[in-house]
Amino acid sequence: MPDPIYLDHAATTPVRAEVLEAMQPFFGPRFGNPSSVHRWGREARTALDEAHERVARCLGASADEVIFTSCGTEADNMALLGVFRSRRAEGRTAVVTTPIEHKAVLAAAHQAAHEGGEERLLAMRNDGRVDDASFDALVTDEVAVCSVMWVNNEIGVVQDIDALAERARSRGVLFHTDAVQAFGKVVVDARTTKFDLASISGHKIGAPKGIGALYLRRGTPIEPLMFGGSQDRGRRPGTENVAMAVGLATAAELAVAEREHEWATLEKLRDRLEAGLLERIPDAVIHGRGAPRAPHITSVSVPGTDSESLLMALDLRGIACSAGSACQSGSVTPSHVLAAIGVPADLASSAIRMSLGCLSTDACVDRVIDVFPKLIEKARRLATA
Amino acid sequence: MTGERVLVAMSGGVDSSVAAALLVRQGYDVVGATMKLFCHGEDLPDRPCCSLDSVNDARRICEQLGVPHYVLNLESAFGRDVVEDFVSEYARGRTPIPCVRCNTFTKFRDLLKKADAIDAKWIATGHYAQVRDGVLQRGLDPAKDQSYFLWGIDRRVLSRMMLPVGAQTKAETRAIAHELGLELIAEKAESQDICFVPDGDHAKIIARQLGADAPSLSPGAFVSGTGEVLGTHDGFARYTIGQRRGLPGGFREPMFVVEIQPETRTVVIGPRSELLGRGVVAREVNWLVSPLEAGAEVEVQIRHHARAARGVLVRSEADEVEIVFEEPVSAITPGQSLVLYSGSVVLGGGVIETARRVLPILAA
Repeated sequence: MPDPIYLDHAATTPVRAEVLEAMQPFFGPRFGNPSSVHRWGREARTALDEAHERVARCLGASADEVIFTSCGTEADNMALLGVFRSRRAEGRTAVVTTPIEHKAVLAAAHQAAHEGGEERLLAMRNDGRVDDASFDALVTDEVAVCSVMWVNNEIGVVQDIDALAERARSRGVLFHTDAVQAFGKVVVDARTTKFDLASISGHKIGAPKGIGALYLRRGTPIEPLMFGGSQDRGRRPGTENVAMAVGLATAAELAVAEREHEWATLEKLRDRLEAGLLERIPDAVIHGRGAPRAPHITSVSVPGTDSESLLMALDLRGIACSAGSACQSGSVTPSHVLAAIGVPADLASSAIRMSLGCLSTDACVDRVIDVFPKLIEKARRLATA
Repeated sequence: MTGERVLVAMSGGVDSSVAAALLVRQGYDVVGATMKLFCHGEDLPDRPCCSLDSVNDARRICEQLGVPHYVLNLESAFGRDVVEDFVSEYARGRTPIPCVRCNTFTKFRDLLKKADAIDAKWIATGHYAQVRDGVLQRGLDPAKDQSYFLWGIDRRVLSRMMLPVGAQTKAETRAIAHELGLELIAEKAESQDICFVPDGDHAKIIARQLGADAPSLSPGAFVSGTGEVLGTHDGFARYTIGQRRGLPGGFREPMFVVEIQPETRTVVIGPRSELLGRGVVAREVNWLVSPLEAGAEVEVQIRHHARAARGVLVRSEADEVEIVFEEPVSAITPGQSLVLYSGSVVLGGGVIETARRVLPILAA
């Protein structure tokens, strides 16, 4: 079998060599606890402070505006629940988000409702963007925080975060964006885009799994999720993961430096992939194509097929893709994102997400263009047999 | 044949794990699949999704065997074909066997489609039964034989089926598991319950689907065979033919449920003698050999752990068969399976519609 093809960069990416190298000392001689008063502690503290500064610079922020978390999910939870809990007293008890968010945001909003708040979901347009009228109707005086994902993880659609953030803030609503898929693809800069909070995740950009960060604009009220020591001003107690923070800082700097080149490279590959697939499967549907999209995600549905069988068949041919979101057991569940943007259930149940990144080449794309249509043809033959 | 692809349905238990391991050893291109059939988890966050541990065990075994593993979501089809039927059968006063329908529709139809999708020539399970030359036969271990549950599958599927543990005893299966180093599952307890009724309380499932005030779960009368009211029961769906538990006491001889009349919510009870039937009618007939004609002598099994009884096929229509027994048979239960054998060969089967207490005039 030819070399396997990894087309699932939106799920996770390999750790970059530069990142691994930057982290190495902190697993070895520089193992200290940043809270310690001695030289080992000071060394670790310096590296951690620098990591804060470096990540902050990548986000157009100050060091104190960056909180390291264990993952994107924690950052999202902290943003929604931390703000909701701190603003309840002022009568802002609603949380607004979209139905196409990552489960981390949806479940956090749900938890806010469970704690007596109100969960409001914005209407989506069929192209995958937030419906403006719905935004105006739901983002009101009772809202503590509004959270809109910058780049959708299933279809790659980019929301107009600049405009949404402005409009939320004009109503006194704090604005959070899950920028996990956006960071490294679009400019995520707190100086030019007026979000109050933003989540990023290390493992989508070549840092390891287990590190993320929350940007928190200075002065934004927030309750911690956990209680313990005074690390990160008590906002995120627990001994800091120095090595991973350094890894995230390194990966973030590389992502920002390479962003434009990365966009151009992936866009070219994506366009080639989509053109190739559409040429051979004329009735294939590429979701979100009518809206601005990030270049690394393609979600394609072919009527009369099912994602589960296709994913297996692709994997057995050495091509790794994904579909919808996976449940605990690892089985494929219908995509809530596609349902929310009005994709009919039978079409949604055939969706395959291909996501490009550092491991993608022209040759990979060409093989997918060759193999995928064959699998589709077979699936359709079986379906009508 | 070496290198041919086989999709193995893996529950995470010892039988299907060993089945997969044996096929790997024989050189097949094994792909493991665990079916996700139901989910208690979504609405009950404190309980794990479906049987997560089983899925994880199957995944770990596949990892150990060096073969791919997938979790296949067959929840909606299983709900429609198996769970809904299970509930509606109980509501009709019958005692269904969901495992039969799961084999017929979920494993050997829906899962087979997944096998097609990945070019798997074969489909394998951990059932204790055997397929030889396109003929389904009892498992070698009489204590474990599961052929009774397989009568409903499409006859054409037999040529693609492999049942690798069917020719050995359970003890041998466990020994092989140890020998192959599958310690994770080698001594795993036997699953006894119906998978989607984990605590054995099927009334709970009925209540969830039909409401706790469904007629089948509402009080009704215990009556004798002569119509005398003997007490009140708490829902006929809690009873099955031949049951003794939960009946009123104070009779000279042991009493059993002998009939359920759903229209009037009546549970008829009587002594052992009233359980006897001389014949049986079954529907949803499926043949695994060329259909037999009326007059054929057959061996008949009317429940999983019953000994096969000798009988004669007196009527054989497309969707209905009727058997007359050589000797009366006890507790013929509507909803259970009627499986016809010739020695160890499974000829076919059907779903028991009714028992014949009194024989019709025998066809010549």
